Amino acid sequence: MEIFLQQLVNGLTIGSIYALVALGYTMVYGVLKLINFAHGDLVALSAYIGLVIMMQLAGALSPAALIIITFLATMVIIAIAGVILERTAYRPLRKAPRLSAVVSALGASLVIENGIMLIWGPMPRIYPASIVPNVNYDLHGVYISLMQILVLVISFVLMIGLYFFVNKTKLGTAMRACAIDQDAARLMGIDVNRVIVTTFIIGSALGAVGGLFIGMYYRGITFNMGWIYGLNAFVAAIIGGIGNIPGAMLGGMLLGIFNALIAGYLSSSWAMALTYVLLIVIMIIRPTGILGERVAEKV
Amino acid sequence: MKRKGLVALVALLVTVLFGFSAMAEGVIKIGVQAPITGKFASEGQSIDKAVRLIVKQVNAKGGILGKKLEVITCDDEGKAVKAAICARKLVDAGVIAVIGSYTSTCAEAAEPIYYRAGVLQTSDGTSDTLVKHGYWTFFRNSSPNSAEAKFTAEFFLKKQHYKRIALISDYSTFSVNLTNAVAKDIKKLGGNIVYQGKIVSGSQNFTPILTKIKSYHPDVIYFGGYYTDGGLIRAQMVQLGIKADFVGGDSNDNPEFLKLAGKAAVGAYLINVPLPNMLPYPAAKEFLKAYRETYHENPASIWTLFNVDGLRVILYAIQQTKSLDTKKIAHYLHYELKDFPGITGPISFAPNGERIGSAYMAYQIGPDLKYHIVYKEK
Repeated sequence: MEIFLQQLVNGLTIGSIYALVALGYTMVYGVLKLINFAHGDLVALSAYIGLVIMMQLAGALSPAALIIITFLATMVIIAIAGVILERTAYRPLRKAPRLSAVVSALGASLVIENGIMLIWGPMPRIYPASIVPNVNYDLHGVYISLMQILVLVISFVLMIGLYFFVNKTKLGTAMRACAIDQDAARLMGIDVNRVIVTTFIIGSALGAVGGLFIGMYYRGITFNMGWIYGLNAFVAAIIGGIGNIPGAMLGGMLLGIFNALIAGYLSSSWAMALTYVLLIVIMIIRPTGILGERVAEKV
Repeated sequence: MKRKGLVALVALLVTVLFGFSAMAEGVIKIGVQAPITGKFASEGQSIDKAVRLIVKQVNAKGGILGKKLEVITCDDEGKAVKAAICARKLVDAGVIAVIGSYTSTCAEAAEPIYYRAGVLQTSDGTSDTLVKHGYWTFFRNSSPNSAEAKFTAEFFLKKQHYKRIALISDYSTFSVNLTNAVAKDIKKLGGNIVYQGKIVSGSQNFTPILTKIKSYHPDVIYFGGYYTDGGLIRAQMVQLGIKADFVGGDSNDNPEFLKLAGKAAVGAYLINVPLPNMLPYPAAKEFLKAYRETYHENPASIWTLFNVDGLRVILYAIQQTKSLDTKKIAHYLHYELKDFPGITGPISFAPNGERIGSAYMAYQIGPDLKYHIVYKEK
C-alpha cells in the first residue's frame, strides 16, 4: 500500500507538470485549431532562461525572493517569446491551409531547440541544489519533498486561476467565443487578434512554470528535453480532450500516474510504449477525449 | 639517364653515411601510436608528451644498453583504418616497441600488424577482446571491464557484507555488459541479488523504479551507467527515503555527478581506477612532478599513466635481458617479471598479455565532497 501511495505521489508530481504544459497546447488548439508543436521547446527554453536568471541573482536575494523573481521574469520572457512565435510563425499562415501551419510549427520547434543548443551547448546543464531546501516529509512511509509540495500547490493554484479566468472574466468569455466560431466572434465586436495573443501569453507563461519545475525538481536539463515533455503533454491534452481546459489538467494527472504505475509495476521501458496504447484505446472509445464534447458534424 | 644515376649515387651515399652514423650511435626506436588529433586529442597528446618525457629522462642518464632512445609518433585519430596505416608506418620505421593506442578499437586494428612484424605493443584499451587473439606481442597495461565487475563483487561481499543487493543499468551495451558481469560475479561469490532492472537513460524521473526497489529493502543499489543518470538516481533515492547505499560504476566518476546529486552525493560510493593525483606510489609522485614541471599541466587522465607504465616496463625488460630481441623481452615480461614498481601500482603480466591484479578502487564521497579511498585490492 505504501508503495502504491508513493507511486501516486510520484505520478501526481510529474502529472501536474504535464498538465501545466498541456494547457498551452489545449488553449492554442481551442482558439486556433493549431497544434503548437513548438510549445515543448518554449518549455525547454524557460528552463534555460530560469537557470541563467537564478545564477545571476543567486546570493543577492533570499531564497524565497529569488524563486519568486525567477518565476515572474521567466514567465514574462517566455510569454514574449510565445507572442513572437505567434507573430512570425503562425499569423502569416492563418489563412493558409492547416498543413502549412503545422509544418511551420515543426520548423519553429527545430529553430528553438537548435538555438538552445547553439547558445548553451549540447551538454546537460544542472540547476543548483540549494534553491528549495531539501526537506522530506515522512507520512507513514510515504515520502513527499518540499519541492513536490511546491510543484503540486503552485500547479493547482495556477490551474484553478486559469479556470476562473476563462469562465468568469470578459477576456475569458471572448476566448471561449473565439474557440467556438472566430468569424461570429469578430462580428460581435471581439478583437480576435488580441484574444489570440492573450492565449499565447497565458499558454507560454504556464509552460514556463512547467519548465522551471522540471529544472528545479529533476535538476538536469538538456537542449532537446522540450520534445519529450512536449510529446507527453500533447498526449495528455488529447487524452483529456484537446481544446478543453479541465480536460488538459485531468489528462496530465492521469498520464503522470499511469506512467508511474507502469514504470513501477512493469518496467520503465514500457511506460512510454503503453502510454501510446492508452492513447489509441481512448481515441477508439472516445475520439474527443475524456472531457471533450461531441461536436455535431457540419453538414 | 646520367642525371638519374647521379641522384641514385648521392642517395646511396647519404643512406650509407647516415645509416652508418646511426648504427654507430646506436638508437633504439620507440613508436607512439595515439590519437593526436580528433575526438580524443587531449588523451593522445598527453600520452605522446609523457612518453617523450620518460625518453628524455632515460637519455639524460645515458640511455639503455649504451644506446639512446628515439620516439616516432603516428597519429591514428582514434580511427581503426588510420590505426592500421600507423602500424605499417611504425613497423617500417624500425621500432621495436609501440606505446598505444588510447582506444580499444585502434589498438585491436593494429595488433595483427605488430604481431606479424614481431614488434611489442602495449595499450590501455579496456575491451576484453584485446588479449584473446593469442598475440605474444601484445601487453595490456590497464584493467579490463571484467576486472571492474570482479572488484565490485568483492567490494560488495567481502568489505561491505551486503545481504540484499539491487542492480540497475541503462540499455547501452556498455552498461548492460558491466552490470551483467557484476551480477555474475556476485552470484559466484554467493551474494543475494534481490532486484535487477533497467532504466531509460535520460528520462530523468526514476522515482517509479526506485519506489519499486524500495519494497525489496535492499542494502545497496548499484548503478552501472553514466553520471547523468547516476546523479539523479542518487538524489531521488534520498528523496524517497531509501536508506540503502549507492554504488556507481566507473562512468559515474565525473564532477557532474556531484552537481546532480547535490547534498545526496555525500556517502555515495564510486568504483573506478584511481585519478592520477590519488596514486599513492612514489614513482607516481615523481613522474607527476616532472610532467607538471615540463608541460605546466597535469596528464589528461590515468590512461596516460597506464601507457607510461607500458613504456617503463619494456625499458626495464630490455635492461634486464640485455637484449633488443623482442621475443626475449616478451618472454621476460610474461614469465619472469614480478611486481615491477609501476606508476600505477605493481605490474606483472599473465601469459596472454593481461596485467595481473586490478587497479580498481572504491571511493566514498565525504562531507567535503572529495573522494576518499575505502577499499582496494592488495
